[in-house]
Amino acid sequence: MEALRKKIPLTLPQNSIKIIRIIAALLLLALVIVRAIDVAAESQFGADTWLRLSVSGLIIGGMYALIAIGYTLVYGILFMINFAHGEVMMLGTFGGYFVFEAFNAIQVTATDGTQMSFLNANPVIAIFLAFLMGMTIAALSGYFLEKIAYRPLRGAPRLVPLISAIGASIFLQNAGQLLFGPQRRQYVNPVVLDRGIGWNLELSGSTVVLTYTGIFSLVLSAILMVGLYLLVQRTKLGRAMRAVAQDKKTAALMGINVDQIISRTFVISGALAGAAGVMWGIHNGLFNYFVGFLPGIKAFTAAVLGGIGNIPGAMVGGLFLGIVESLGPAVLGIDFQLKDVIAFSILILVLIFRPSGILGEALSEEKV
Amino acid sequence: MNKQSLQKSAASGLVFGIIVIFLALIGFTVVFSGLIQKVLGQSLGVGQIPRIGNFFIFLGFLGIWNGWRAARQDSHESLTLPKVLLRAFVAGLSAGVLVMVYAVVVGGLDARGVDMRTYLSMLSSDSIKFFLFNQSVAMGGLIHVGFSTLMAVVGGLLAFGSEKSQEQVKATRTKVQNWSQRTWLGKVQGNPYVSYVLMGVVLLLLVLLPRTWGAYWNYVMGTVGIYVLLGLGLNIIVGLSGQLVLGYVAFFAIGAYTFALTTSPEPHNLVWNFWIALAVSVVAAALSGVLIGLPILRLRGDYLAIVTLGFGEIIRILLKSDLLKDFTMGPRGVRNIAGPTLFGRSFTSDVDYMYIIILAVLLSVFLAKRWQESSIGRAWLSISQDETVAQATGVDTYKYKLLALSLGAAFAGLGGALFASRNQFTGPEDHALMVSINVLCLVIVGGMGSIPGIVLGAFVLKGLPEILRELESYRLLVFGALLVVMMIIRPEGLWPARRPKLERPVEPDQEPAAVAITVGGKQ
Repeated sequence: MEALRKKIPLTLPQNSIKIIRIIAALLLLALVIVRAIDVAAESQFGADTWLRLSVSGLIIGGMYALIAIGYTLVYGILFMINFAHGEVMMLGTFGGYFVFEAFNAIQVTATDGTQMSFLNANPVIAIFLAFLMGMTIAALSGYFLEKIAYRPLRGAPRLVPLISAIGASIFLQNAGQLLFGPQRRQYVNPVVLDRGIGWNLELSGSTVVLTYTGIFSLVLSAILMVGLYLLVQRTKLGRAMRAVAQDKKTAALMGINVDQIISRTFVISGALAGAAGVMWGIHNGLFNYFVGFLPGIKAFTAAVLGGIGNIPGAMVGGLFLGIVESLGPAVLGIDFQLKDVIAFSILILVLIFRPSGILGEALSEEKV
Repeated sequence: MNKQSLQKSAASGLVFGIIVIFLALIGFTVVFSGLIQKVLGQSLGVGQIPRIGNFFIFLGFLGIWNGWRAARQDSHESLTLPKVLLRAFVAGLSAGVLVMVYAVVVGGLDARGVDMRTYLSMLSSDSIKFFLFNQSVAMGGLIHVGFSTLMAVVGGLLAFGSEKSQEQVKATRTKVQNWSQRTWLGKVQGNPYVSYVLMGVVLLLLVLLPRTWGAYWNYVMGTVGIYVLLGLGLNIIVGLSGQLVLGYVAFFAIGAYTFALTTSPEPHNLVWNFWIALAVSVVAAALSGVLIGLPILRLRGDYLAIVTLGFGEIIRILLKSDLLKDFTMGPRGVRNIAGPTLFGRSFTSDVDYMYIIILAVLLSVFLAKRWQESSIGRAWLSISQDETVAQATGVDTYKYKLLALSLGAAFAGLGGALFASRNQFTGPEDHALMVSINVLCLVIVGGMGSIPGIVLGAFVLKGLPEILRELESYRLLVFGALLVVMMIIRPEGLWPARRPKLERPVEPDQEPAAVAITVGGKQ
């Protein structure tokens, strides 16, 4: 094959398209750099602003990464965009919210005799249970989603499960709206995790607050990511998942129950999305039924950015997207309401110029 | 009478129980009972709770369905009466018990004075009492169990009866078919003039109806017509050439805003003629289709979907942002958009708009049909079935995909311009992602690639919710479920496309060169 390719010279059109593409990419890059230097010369923001933006980007990026892992796992195995993944995250957010609300309503007497809510008396238990609840609900919804909407479509043309996924996404979103109402709700955090307070850093004359909620989210998402990586690399289930992702037929011949592995993949990715959802609620506070839509699409962007099918890629992509989205408006000197435009533009540019992502795709050949 | 079949019945009963509970949680039970009451000809005020009897009809329908499904869980075996009764009983009982548990929990909380609407927005005290048939908590729960079991048994009996009478039904059907073919019906069906007469009747209706049915219906049907336009355009992209585009609203927005900015006095003071502006917006939308398509059409299917979704969102956010405020008026939107004029007379009444929309729809249907049946249509068909094979047989896939995108975008531009002109206003929120999703739904529900299917889909998705106002808030929920269900049981749509029969039939003894003429990949 290689010899054959060497003999036949590349035809002109293909070659010229490649060259045009490279030139366009370089031009775009130059444009962005020139603009960034221009803006930097004005030095509108001090070091404190940059630090604040990077930290908040990193925190959001950790959540994107958790959701992106779900996309990448499913895409690696089924070669399908699980469009309803953002809605799974939304259900997780509601799960954690209800646990906090319930514990906030229970009054207990503390050791020093004062009345306080269970939430503030035992914050560790409350937070643990909130995450457990959010992850369980999201994992269950992921499981049933696969069983009801995707499993009957195994082997159908590729657009069919995607349309089914879009339908499931619309259904879950509207079910959330009808069940819980369209109004925005606020997470009641335990006092130790109050929003807005944290460690104060003095930097160039002003203070930067590293919020406890943010640090907590970042650490927890790092722990979950490491846990997932170990699960996939070290356990029997992980090995089976990798085998199914590589080649379903051969995996089945080796005695792996493919359907079961796919189900478990959905459970795992749902649980991660649920954790991200609870973090989202704890860190940002306000949420409603629509909370999963934008993070869902952006996390998919992150998964593509890192190379779809590639788990470390999804993590890198998530953090990268979070930081770029947060710093982008400041670097380019544009309005902060345009940060979604930056995220979507990155998605489009990556898909046009480097569809295999930063760390490269990890898909088996039958799928590409 | 094995254990497994009873387990299956119980499981299916539990699923029905969950469905009933879900419908109660989203308030559908009350709304649908009210709808039944209206259909039965009794009036019902806004916000009034319907009568309990209608709730029984609703529950009875679900119960019968539950029993029917439980009885016919395996289509291969022949049914016996005790088997059917036992299965239906088990299914009905398990559904009823589950619903009773829910009713007791919710009713008990309500009786204690807990306001559940803080968390579950549809559970008002009235609707909970309605769910308990205005009885006490225990009594209501027991009625649920009893009624569910009873109706499931009825459903099982019905299934049994229909199974036994199936032979007769089949015989009657063939008899009717034979009769209709022998008599005038058969002759009429084969006659080409009949379709001309039908077309004439439809045209006459299209001319007469807008004059007679008033402003409200003109508004509703005008919306349906615009969605038919959008559906026809997206059908070219998704149905014919097989490229899933989720950001179709971008072209709609470009059409609407081009029209608005060239005819409105406010941001730029370009008060162009309606017809020139209309043509310009169609061209602008088509050009934007080419420009957006150039870099992205080489992507594989699902990436294309996400990228176009991104484009749609980018355009909406840009229209809304302060960045383009001087150019597009930002979130306020553009007002005072011009209406149509001809020979100095302005045509801005609802009837005139209806006629313009009907003309646009007829023109678009004609064009879409001609394209579909031409060589371009066959190239699209081959691309949608297997791109590699299409390329190998000499179809320039990139060119034809680009053509499909720009033609589809042109339809969206026309629809957007008419929409903006009719409302005399357009703003960024007119162009949310939901428009794309709605149009995609109507294309898929109607039948991908089928023009009558698109028209039917537009009526079902935009017309029906206007008629059934009560169900408005459940519209998207139902469409979401419908998309999933349709993909599973009927992916070809309500009115599936028929393959054009213009291709030469392949005779067994023909030479192989003739075989290559028929386009199409693997079946």
